[in-house]
Amino acid sequence: MSQSGVANDGTSFNSLDAVTTQTVQVPWYEQKVSPSYRRRQVWNWVLKILVFAAVVIVLVPLLDMLYLFAYKGLSVISIATLTETTTGGTGLGGGGILNAITGTLLLLALSSAIAVPLGIFSGVYMAEFAGEHNRYASVVRFVSDVLAGVPSIVLGYVGYLLFVLYAGWGYSALAGAVTLSILMLPYILRTTELAIRRVPDSIREGAIALGSTKTSMINRLTLKFALPGILTGVMLAVSISLSETAPLLYTADFSNYVPTALLHQPVGYLTGIVWTFSQMPTTSAHNLAYIAAFVLLSLVFLVNFLARVVLKRFSKI
Amino acid sequence: MKWFFLSTDQSLAQEDIATAQTLTRSEERAGNGGSGFLIRDLNVYYRQLHVLKGLNLEIEPHKITVFMGPSGCGKSTLVRVLNRMNDHVDGFKHTGQVLLDGKNIYDSDVDPVLLKTKVGMVFQKPNPFPISIYENVAFGPRIHKTYKSKAALDNTVRQSLEKAALWEEVKDRLATNANSLSGGQQQRLCIARAIATLPDVILFDEPASALDPGSTAKVEELMVALKRNYTVVLVTHNMQQAARVANKVVFLYKGEVVEVGEPPGMFENPKSELTEKYISGHLV
Repeated sequence: MSQSGVANDGTSFNSLDAVTTQTVQVPWYEQKVSPSYRRRQVWNWVLKILVFAAVVIVLVPLLDMLYLFAYKGLSVISIATLTETTTGGTGLGGGGILNAITGTLLLLALSSAIAVPLGIFSGVYMAEFAGEHNRYASVVRFVSDVLAGVPSIVLGYVGYLLFVLYAGWGYSALAGAVTLSILMLPYILRTTELAIRRVPDSIREGAIALGSTKTSMINRLTLKFALPGILTGVMLAVSISLSETAPLLYTADFSNYVPTALLHQPVGYLTGIVWTFSQMPTTSAHNLAYIAAFVLLSLVFLVNFLARVVLKRFSKI
Repeated sequence: MKWFFLSTDQSLAQEDIATAQTLTRSEERAGNGGSGFLIRDLNVYYRQLHVLKGLNLEIEPHKITVFMGPSGCGKSTLVRVLNRMNDHVDGFKHTGQVLLDGKNIYDSDVDPVLLKTKVGMVFQKPNPFPISIYENVAFGPRIHKTYKSKAALDNTVRQSLEKAALWEEVKDRLATNANSLSGGQQQRLCIARAIATLPDVILFDEPASALDPGSTAKVEELMVALKRNYTVVLVTHNMQQAARVANKVVFLYKGEVVEVGEPPGMFENPKSELTEKYISGHLV
């Protein structure tokens, strides 16, 4: 500001002049940088390096693992190992993993058929129908959060007591699938609820003001809007159902045969092969474990890929 | 979208017939005097808060009635009472009557969903659905199944967009997402969307407060044009806007009606001291 005045000691001054005479000799781009700015610059670099290092630390083992299973799996995989069932029981571990592939797919289909609709419907209820302060909804929310944190082996034991023994289903695909669906449910429920809550209220208001009922609003707008979020939850849950071992040890046992019944018949699964055969002494057993691990990784990859394709299609609307 | 591939001749012929039909229908409706509100002794509470205090008002058909007043005076609450948008607000209670064509809209035999097809609403912030422009306008007709054929729906969409003065700007890109429109266009799209459900009354809750002057002028022109066929209610805190479009101004302060008048008289010689203070910018 250009301001003339009289300083305390009585000499007159012009503040604008004072500023210009000081800076005119050193242009702004050649002025010395303050030490605090230097410090911030250094910190900026340090943090950048730390963040990058973290990514490397995470990525390298992941890529190493992917490489290991792809390399080991692909080097021993054959049509026979994918189309034959396991032989030799717990001693040798020969044959193929057809029983485990079909078993895993069966468990996946059954558990998804239970958990996905149930989870999405209850998520819709929690987000759209139960108010923020609804007692029942907050209890459900709390319980589902707790459920998501319960160790899967504990749930496996509960499944064993409840379905295998009490309901009398025996070691079976259904007992395994229902136990898995209990594991999956909280993820689907919460992601659905959160995704639907993120839909702006102005959109809801707009639909209601056009005379839309709540159901047609949900059908035509909110679900479409929330679909990416819901799919993420479903994908996560499906990956969990693919990769769980502990609850299945309790409820599905293991079987060397392709499943033919839902009840009273143990069923094989890929993680079971990895779990048992990696601990056996024979090379053929190790090979089967590698193949099973590779197939599992491929399935998880496939699920992610499919979800992305679906997302792309729907987000075009 | 198939809609684009209709041969022009065919679609024109269909349009002509349908246009003729809708025109006669809206003329009939324009002839019978439209719908008006009569508010009797209305009190509204949010829990303990007494928001509207003993209101008595008439909202006449084919006129623009403006609710004006400082923030928190209850004007938005009042306009939301008219199509029961407040029903789901926590702690909403009311006493008194809101008569639409002589029928109390809060009677237990009135379906609030159907009421909203008769009383449309445009909000402060444009809220187009994140779907195509066409589907935005077709939303109301689709959920209420008010059309018989695809051609009739196309026609309703076109006419609604024309009435909202948006058709020329969007006719070549009806399939694009409504979010790609500018703010002013989005608001006119919301107006077209409200028109497409064939209401008798359209409520505007500060429709131009998020728009630039050019878009504001367009929306205002539109409201003036719409009052020929609809009863229009406008909420605003902008006096110039009220003066430009209103047939009747209701000045509200702290939940009470201070003055009801007609511009420009009301702005030049307000009867109430409060109104004068507000107009001169001294009412906080």
